[in-house]
Amino acid sequence: MNYRNDRKWAVIFLTPAILLLLAFMAGPVIASFVLSLFEWDLLTPPNWVGIANFVELFRDAEFYRSLGNTLTFIIGYVPVVIAAGLVIAVMMNQALPARTLLRTAFFIPVVSSWVAVALLWKWLFNPRYGLVNYALSLLGVSGPAWLFDPNWAMPAIIITSVWKDIGFVMMILLSGLQEIPKNYHEAAAIDGAGPVRVFFSITLPLLTSTIFFVLIISLINSFQVFDQVWVMTGGGPAGATSVLVQQIYLNAARYGQMGYASALSLVLFAIILMVTVAQMRLQKRWVHSE
Amino acid sequence: MVIPLAWMISTSLKPDAQLLVFPPRLVTSQMTLAAYTRLFELFPMARMFFNSVIVTITATIGQLVVCSMAAYAFARIQFWGKTLLFLMFLGTLMVPLQVILTPLFIEMRILGWVNTYAGIILPTMTIRVAFGVFLLRQAFALIPRALEESAFMDGASHGTIFARIALPLVRPALATLMVLAFMDAWNSFLWPLLVVRDTNMMTLPVGLSALHGRYSTAWNMVMAGVVISVVPIIILFMSAQRYFVEGLARAGIKE
Amino acid sequence: MRRVFATMVLAFWAVAMVTAAGRTEEETSSVNDTEIVYYTFSASPNHLEELNEIVARFNEQENGVTVRVEAVGWDNYFTRLESQIAGGSPPDVFELNYENFVNYASKDVLLSLDSYLVADGTFDRNAYYERAIDAFEYEGTQYGLPATFSTSVLFYNKDLFDAAGLDYPDDSWTWEDALAAAQELTDRENDVWGLYSPVQFWEFYKKAEQNGGGLMGANGVTIDHARNVEALEFMVSLIDEYQVMPREQDLAGVPNEQAFLDGEIAMLVSGIWMFETFRDADFAWDIAVEPGMRRKATHYFADGLAVSSETDHPEAAWKWVNYFTSSPEMVRTRMESNWGLPVVQDLDLVEAYLEQTPPDNRQAVYDSLEYAIVPPVIERQNQMQDIIGQAIENVLLGNSGAASALADADRQVRSLIE
Repeated sequence: MNYRNDRKWAVIFLTPAILLLLAFMAGPVIASFVLSLFEWDLLTPPNWVGIANFVELFRDAEFYRSLGNTLTFIIGYVPVVIAAGLVIAVMMNQALPARTLLRTAFFIPVVSSWVAVALLWKWLFNPRYGLVNYALSLLGVSGPAWLFDPNWAMPAIIITSVWKDIGFVMMILLSGLQEIPKNYHEAAAIDGAGPVRVFFSITLPLLTSTIFFVLIISLINSFQVFDQVWVMTGGGPAGATSVLVQQIYLNAARYGQMGYASALSLVLFAIILMVTVAQMRLQKRWVHSE
Repeated sequence: MVIPLAWMISTSLKPDAQLLVFPPRLVTSQMTLAAYTRLFELFPMARMFFNSVIVTITATIGQLVVCSMAAYAFARIQFWGKTLLFLMFLGTLMVPLQVILTPLFIEMRILGWVNTYAGIILPTMTIRVAFGVFLLRQAFALIPRALEESAFMDGASHGTIFARIALPLVRPALATLMVLAFMDAWNSFLWPLLVVRDTNMMTLPVGLSALHGRYSTAWNMVMAGVVISVVPIIILFMSAQRYFVEGLARAGIKE
Repeated sequence: MRRVFATMVLAFWAVAMVTAAGRTEEETSSVNDTEIVYYTFSASPNHLEELNEIVARFNEQENGVTVRVEAVGWDNYFTRLESQIAGGSPPDVFELNYENFVNYASKDVLLSLDSYLVADGTFDRNAYYERAIDAFEYEGTQYGLPATFSTSVLFYNKDLFDAAGLDYPDDSWTWEDALAAAQELTDRENDVWGLYSPVQFWEFYKKAEQNGGGLMGANGVTIDHARNVEALEFMVSLIDEYQVMPREQDLAGVPNEQAFLDGEIAMLVSGIWMFETFRDADFAWDIAVEPGMRRKATHYFADGLAVSSETDHPEAAWKWVNYFTSSPEMVRTRMESNWGLPVVQDLDLVEAYLEQTPPDNRQAVYDSLEYAIVPPVIERQNQMQDIIGQAIENVLLGNSGAASALADADRQVRSLIE
């Protein structure tokens, strides 16, 4: 094996990405972390306040509530979107009639703007005239007030988010399915394995690394859930769906509390980082590698 | 699944008076193109479209080149500190945009890049570099060792293997990243909003955000704008399907 | 390899486009005039044409100044403005609503206009409504000029009043009168609600004042004042106790203005910017000064123009501010399009405005100004609004009583001020 030139090639391949990140991410990220030690309203020069922002943050009931809501979202959203995306990806990988059209149909919600999707689902979830409660009434269930009910607003947001993101997950898993080398399947076919066994003993193990990718990315993204909440409920009713990034947005853009927003970001960063590192440790147990 | 698209198109064709009629109807007797005409009257749509195209194509190509190179290194080359470096890459996805935009704007001003294409494009692609690297790393990692080992025997370098063997093999992932990167850049809003200072430099989402007023929102025009911006992505997605099918034929896993 | 080559060609093309397009940009902006940039939110989305018209007229004047307008959506206006101020490259002139104006003026980011007011012969302080121009003064210095104001009034559906055989609301009405009428008007079988007055911060601070309370007193925060509690309890009782007013979910997601237009709400408290929308209603409607409680109080929204303290062209900026807030062309354009009210008290033009119908009783717009109040402004205004807004929502959901919710909000707002 020829690995002598490895370091040289690593440098060559990594340089463009590292340069970009150093130039346009490193500075701003470090700056925002430093700002967490200041009070800054953007209009007047920043004021050094030490760890006061963090002290305030850990005493702030709003922080704990929005952290709790964010975790509720993640627990409801991540497993469902990955499981549903996997089922659909496997289906879409078969020789179906009009496959391109079907795939595109699943992809349409992904490209639709959150504003349009939110408007649509607000109507679907409408307690009086919405399709969702109409369907429930056919089953003899009287539906909740959904977005107007503090207990049901978050489930409504989760359902909408899963619906919108299934196509995204499907697309990535689909490309993972396509990259599975054909000789694995050929070998299995020679052994006389049926399609179900091939799926569970060949396809699924080989897909684990793509599933792992989807899991990490979905976790990182859903810790930062915001857009859908903002357009669907604005965090209401009475703060029942307020999430962490909403607090960051409000403090940075509406309250003139850039320092506090930065402190919140740093805490959120730390949480996501811990979860991701834990996932990477755990991956050795279930992710198939060469 | 197709409902939101039908919904957007239908709303964009409604006259002002019918926007909020309840229960909403997909087709009404008074369909009109008025929202589109007013959009073209009020905004330099052609110019904004052009800006969006420049920004998106450049950012997408840049992303594909930069990400595939870095991803190859992470997947196929052994070097010291790899895990830590990868984690640092991922870390850039974990910081909410809201707090880094202002420092980034200040940096652009120091560089003199406010209101330039470079100022819009480079940060737009940087924000998502880590995502692309991660996506492609997973794809490169699946390439069987045997393929590159025989190439190494023939004296090929990593550069040759990357360009001749690895890249063609991960075509489905590249197509996926192309679509997603295109979509991200095309829809990117907050950063261009800050860095652009001139209507002539505005991209579509930035220019059209003026439709959300303090007291009311022109939904039909908003949706007309959304329809105009969604079409290119759907076309791109459908044409990228070719690469999926190609990958499928090669892998031969049709049951 | 071909593919890599194609990619490189494309990349090269893109870079070439970038530089080329960047260059045309510089060429086109080489005009002799001084160019100033103006940020505005109030034209979006219905009055962009009128704004362009006013700007075009100003630019045709050949006074050496060209204005370049950037209309930005309200949601992101301040994010953009503040980042650019923080980055040291603010627009020359920008629009500010009253509450934000106070905040900005206290932070030294606005240019004092005092010297221009004196030096410019075309400026006439008396041309402005006193209350409006005073609003843009901070600690004795004029940091901005008002461009437009709006008031909130009581809209009512005449047909529904006629059908119920009730007298129309007039300026002497109190909320008791309105409630009595609303009870007559409410007809659940035909989907008619008697009354709608949003339960949120802006209505609450106003009703608190009407009830003789208020959010701030001479000695600071008085959010949990007994009169305020009473006012909030009244607001909620319209829904819970008297059932003359719908909750948001009762309206099924339809905005209250649309419900009024659909004939489902008999009386509605809303802003005068709705005139344009309501003009084509298929029933007769009119307006009256909003009812009071112990006293009358109406909210008035004011938007004004301010000049950045860092502008390179203060003279040019001033010319635009002066023109946009008081020129006859601007006044006429605004009046004709129902785009807020100009703050200029030109009687001929006001006369013409009053003659337009509907509503017949346009005079009520000006009568409302007699009782106009503005909310108390603190440095962390938005946060205060959100805290109180959430307290109100909790009362509405039945999570807590008015007294305890306001006591809680009182405590939180106090900690903001310290």
